[in-house]
Amino acid sequence: MTKEELKDKVLNLSQGMLTYSDSGVFDLMFEVKPENLTKAAVLLRDHEELRFDFMNNITGVDTGEHFEVVYSLASLSNKTRLDFKVVLPYEGAKLESLCEVWKAANWHEREIWELYGIDFTGHPNLTRFLLPDDWDQGHPMRKDWDAPDFVRMPEL
Amino acid sequence: MGLIKKVPVYAERIPGGGIVATQLESLLSHSQACSMWYLLFATACCAIELMCTGASRYDFDRLGMIFRPTPRQADLIIAAGTITKKMAPRLRRLYDQMAEPRYVIAMGGCTVKGGPFYYDSYAVEKGIDHIIPVDVFIPGCPPRPESLLEGCLHLQKKIKSQKLGDWHEK
Repeated sequence: MTKEELKDKVLNLSQGMLTYSDSGVFDLMFEVKPENLTKAAVLLRDHEELRFDFMNNITGVDTGEHFEVVYSLASLSNKTRLDFKVVLPYEGAKLESLCEVWKAANWHEREIWELYGIDFTGHPNLTRFLLPDDWDQGHPMRKDWDAPDFVRMPEL
Repeated sequence: MGLIKKVPVYAERIPGGGIVATQLESLLSHSQACSMWYLLFATACCAIELMCTGASRYDFDRLGMIFRPTPRQADLIIAAGTITKKMAPRLRRLYDQMAEPRYVIAMGGCTVKGGPFYYDSYAVEKGIDHIIPVDVFIPGCPPRPESLLEGCLHLQKKIKSQKLGDWHEK
């Protein structure tokens, strides 16, 4: 299956849930509205012709204006790859957990919750993951984060 | 340790006892400097250089330096690699478990001042000298085995120059 074929197939099958968003970096990048996330994920995993049964990773992005959560998928049977992202506002960033869809999402979502403060509703164990257990300085991957011993790279 | 510290006090009361004290002093510090067993505490890429120094080409053993996997048997920590804020309490704990006299070598830029992670890092400790006292700093990213050997020779020099009364107690 070529890239264009996969793109058309996803756009046809998703009935508007996934929209194509060319970032110029990824092979195939789609955008999903937060309220459609679980439905879109189940469709991508279960549909006979898509079968995205493997979740590579989830990434959090702080663009300075809003948050993005990027999901990278792969289909082991069709040998195809696909990425899609969800755009979230700064205030009250909240998303459905995909632990039920792909088990691998568990740790990735914990990490994003810890570093960006994006809440994943329905996550079975949303607890401290990578930072020290007594960490109380907020979410360090946010652009506006600061701490007493944090030194920013000077402009060169 | 307390007994050794008292040797010069008693020895100098007998005629010619000063010689005994001096000889004992040089014997003790020489044997101590020539059998520095170090704790393997390798947390990042500096470990590669540490392994290389331990292997046959640079041959750490000829300085009497043999790695120990437990702090109870070690005289020296070679902190090789980045120390994160989560790792810092563990390093302190290992240091506390070592028997006196104990020494620390900070190997590589990360342990000296945070190294390449000095800027824009929320997780890396900026220098291990505010966790444990450091005897020798070895800069470099990572330092070559020659630098590490040089640092160890400096530490040996420091140990050999200490007097019996200097054996510190805490």
